[in-house]
Amino acid sequence: MSEKLLEIKNLKTSFRIKDDYYAAVDNLSLSVNKNEVLAVVGESGCGKSALAFSVMGLHTRAKIEGNILFKDHDIANISSNDLNNLRGNEMGMIFQDPLTSLNPLMEIGDQIGETLILHNKDLSAEKRKEKIIGLLDKVGIPRPERVYKQFPHELSGGMRQRVMIAMAIANEPELLIADEPTTALDVTIQSQILELINELKEDMNAGIVLITHDLGVVAEMADRVAVMYAGQIVEIADVHTLFESPKHPYTRSLLNSVPNADKAQDKLHVIQGIVPALQNLPREGCRFKARIPWVDDSEHEENPELHEVTPGHFVRCTCYKHFDFPESKEEQHGIS
Amino acid sequence: METKSNETQQIAKSPSGFSIIWRELVRDKLALISLIFLILITVFVYGVSLILDQDEIVRVDLFSIHEPPGEEFILGTDYGGRDIFGQLIIGTRNSLSIGILVTIMTGVIGVIYGLVAGYFGGQIDNIMMRILDFFLILPFLMVVIVFVAIVPTYSVLSFSLIMTAFLWMGIARLIRSKALQEKELDYVQASKTLGSSNVKIMFTQVLPNITSLIIVTMTLNLAANIGLESGLSFLGFGFPESTPSLGTLLSYATNPQTLEYRWWIWVPASILILLLMLAIRNVGEALKRATDARQRRG
Repeated sequence: MSEKLLEIKNLKTSFRIKDDYYAAVDNLSLSVNKNEVLAVVGESGCGKSALAFSVMGLHTRAKIEGNILFKDHDIANISSNDLNNLRGNEMGMIFQDPLTSLNPLMEIGDQIGETLILHNKDLSAEKRKEKIIGLLDKVGIPRPERVYKQFPHELSGGMRQRVMIAMAIANEPELLIADEPTTALDVTIQSQILELINELKEDMNAGIVLITHDLGVVAEMADRVAVMYAGQIVEIADVHTLFESPKHPYTRSLLNSVPNADKAQDKLHVIQGIVPALQNLPREGCRFKARIPWVDDSEHEENPELHEVTPGHFVRCTCYKHFDFPESKEEQHGIS
Repeated sequence: METKSNETQQIAKSPSGFSIIWRELVRDKLALISLIFLILITVFVYGVSLILDQDEIVRVDLFSIHEPPGEEFILGTDYGGRDIFGQLIIGTRNSLSIGILVTIMTGVIGVIYGLVAGYFGGQIDNIMMRILDFFLILPFLMVVIVFVAIVPTYSVLSFSLIMTAFLWMGIARLIRSKALQEKELDYVQASKTLGSSNVKIMFTQVLPNITSLIIVTMTLNLAANIGLESGLSFLGFGFPESTPSLGTLLSYATNPQTLEYRWWIWVPASILILLLMLAIRNVGEALKRATDARQRRG
């Protein structure tokens, strides 16, 4: 269970804006075990996708520092040939938007076949077709023989996402990264897709990194949860701990923002402000400070580190100890 | 088993690329007529020029100088007593050959160059585009004139090569801009996560998605290249009179006597150039509409 599959150490992914590099993922360490779903949550612009792209080696113009250890390889410093051998074979990725992630001019069968041809050269053409149809069947596509010959535009969004999943798992990867796999789908399809991913995890004994901003999805799927804010992990814990006793103000704000069906609410809780743009990100002190102005400066740490609260539960900065949601509007704006 | 075959028959196949183009052509009568005209001209010209002997036609015959159209010479003769009709056929063949050759060669070079520059982007793109800019600012006409003076053996192939060297930039730029757009799409990233190499993605994923643009541009380029060849020959920097082309026939009209009194020398060639270019253009426009669902008529 606790065998480490992927270990990220001090990863720093920076993008160039004008002449300076700004880190979108800042000194992040993380590990994923076999047969585990690690959920990464956070608002848009927190660096979740930048993290996923770093792990897959998809950034072409970013500066990547630190180590991404996957099995015996360090993906942060690997030749493109070795990377191509890993990708599709031992690690797979499911993209956010199934409508654009498939080549519009290629038959479904050929698209899935591409990865089989690349990594499984001895497979004969007939065997390959058999396997592709088997894969389509496995991801729950009805009449796979027919879909094999169809083009992406002839399929619905949910079907296309299933095809994407079939592509990602074609060679039974040990690490699967799902970058918001259900964002573009409607709710009923969402639950089917999540169920499918869950089944696959059991089947393949794989480690899954699930990137999402849907806390409902997290509660249902994840074993452990990492909450990201502004390129850093602010809290990481197993899913029960995180939902039962969230510590960091950001985590609590996020959970507080989820509409609750049990009690009548006039207004939803809104975290004030936005995630700052990459250039304007405060690099020192608690990065969440600006969005909880009613918390006194002295309660933040100068250089917030991750503190282990209970075993396996880490929280950044000390501000969580004194944080509470404000009662009134004035207080929220820090006027009182 | 029977139900299964029934089922497969019921699947409505979405129309293939060729059937869309065909429907568009049928809808656009002018384009259809143009296409038929082009095919007929091409077949006729290449067919007849197999029988005709170029050396025979361009041999000077002092006994039949400036013959008007008549029984012996259908379209008369020029100042060297050479048969205009024969020159017209050989000339059209040469002009078409150059046009097609130049279009294909510029197409291949431009597509590969643009695809590489656009797909890789960044510094590679920057360097490649600066090289392209260098070619772009060269004064085409002057450079070609210099080359014409330097190259000793002047044939359809060498002339096409010279033109290609200075005409591949337009299509390269077009393909680059499209490749820049296309490589940002998720399916390219998705293909990378499957472990495909860059070269493979470029030619099996990105290229098929820009073929429509390539086909349309190359068709329209064909007309432009035929016109360019005629223009150069007209100015005297194309083929010598021993290798007739539509342009050399036109250039006889620089002589005011010919222009005013001996119309049979230059009028047929002019009309043919006009018709050829219009026809290619019509077909090109129809292709363009076929590749853009919003403009389609069929």
